Amino acid sequence: MDSELLSGTFVDLADTMVADFDIIDFLHMLTDRSVALMSASAAGVVLADPRGALRVAAASSEAAGLVELFQIQNDEGPCLDCFRSGRSVTAADLAAPGTPWPRFAAAATQAGFRTVEALPMRLRDQVIGALNLFRATPGSFEPADLRIAQALADVATIGLLQERNLRRSETMAEQLQAALNSRVVIEQAKGKLAERLGSDMDEAFRLLRDHARNTNQRLTDVARSFVDSTSADFPAPPGR
Amino acid sequence: MSVNRATLLWGLIAEHATTAGLQVAAADVCAVAVSSAQVSGAWVAAASSRGPDFVMCVTDQVSEQLAELQQLLGEGPCQDVLADAAPVLAADLGDDESGRRWPGFAPEARSAGAGAVFAFPLMIGAIRSGVLGLYRSSPGPLSSLQLGDCLLLADTATVMLLDGLDGGGELAADGNGHGARPGGQSSDLAAHRVEIDQATGMLTVQLGISAAEAFARLRAYAYARDRRLADVAGDIVARRLRLDPDPAPDAGP
Repeated sequence: MDSELLSGTFVDLADTMVADFDIIDFLHMLTDRSVALMSASAAGVVLADPRGALRVAAASSEAAGLVELFQIQNDEGPCLDCFRSGRSVTAADLAAPGTPWPRFAAAATQAGFRTVEALPMRLRDQVIGALNLFRATPGSFEPADLRIAQALADVATIGLLQERNLRRSETMAEQLQAALNSRVVIEQAKGKLAERLGSDMDEAFRLLRDHARNTNQRLTDVARSFVDSTSADFPAPPGR
Repeated sequence: MSVNRATLLWGLIAEHATTAGLQVAAADVCAVAVSSAQVSGAWVAAASSRGPDFVMCVTDQVSEQLAELQQLLGEGPCQDVLADAAPVLAADLGDDESGRRWPGFAPEARSAGAGAVFAFPLMIGAIRSGVLGLYRSSPGPLSSLQLGDCLLLADTATVMLLDGLDGGGELAADGNGHGARPGGQSSDLAAHRVEIDQATGMLTVQLGISAAEAFARLRAYAYARDRRLADVAGDIVARRLRLDPDPAPDAGP
């Protein structure tokens, strides 16, 4: 573990949390840093919708293959087991025979992953989601690294609770729905921008995020005004 | 894993509509919300640019008063939900938080007979179609199961209001869910797929229409061809399918 990278990550995450931040952008940053810190190949945060589904809030890559790996886990997978048990779940080699999640393991190996770790996002006795780490090579993550990964999962939980608290107190359920709806707005904006530019979804997401950062706006606000705009031009022309 | 619950709720909505001898409407969603969330009353208001100001249905007089009070005062949980893009769960209108947030509405609502108000946005991302409001005569929070049911019912009401936009409105219920649009696809919505949102965004450009209209067109296309919404959305995202700007959703392929 690179200790400079580690301290830098917690400084950046803390810096973000004292400002008026966008939860999806924050979780996206957290997945990016998890990948770098854990020498992982990919990472993602899924949240438990009270409707009964696990939904992707952020992933280190917006590529379709990775997103699909989270969606499959509504039926089976380490995330679902982690969410149900409230404990971290490890799969050291997805290609090994006898996996408890045949469909997930097949899709994950197909996407180029051999190892997966799911860490619970806990709020007191409630599990609100999970941080998923993927690695292209077989073999478990180091126990010392996993302690850091769990701390990152806890930071994700705190971020979710904190985001809008600056304005007023809200229940966890309200915050969670706001985050999930933000994600939907961003998906709609990605679709609109990808269609406008003929680009893929990953590229569309990067453009939206970069524009939000460069203009000091929240990612969700940029996405919402672009979807609401009657023009297909990005950024959305002022005044719609 | 939520699909069964969504199907069960849709069954209750269709049953209520059949008993009433009417087409499925927002009123049926309200009735099911009252029984499944164990609240005292419910209402649905459609949103205009000013806020949730067109009351579609109410289950009782108190609900009607609560909906009207919020319009009159310009404040309250229903006014907040669309701006916040999140539910507002005021489990006790008598607490300090409610009093600070809605100095006009909270005391008026209590004298009208409400102890708790729960407001759910009828929205899908950037698409806003209205608000589902619920009240309890005495204070108390929703259980997590009740909360999940309310969110699923809000999804159903959202789709109903949006289908009205499409001019289709084929919401006739025959008791087993066949031929009823939200019934055919409610499970698709519960098992949320990002492709549906991405395809909605893509269609706004392909068809030059709003996100609300794009979502309605997507559903109409899937319904007319008896295909799963997620599959049609997946084809659009993979660029295997483009929809025609000519609005003929019920024509053949």
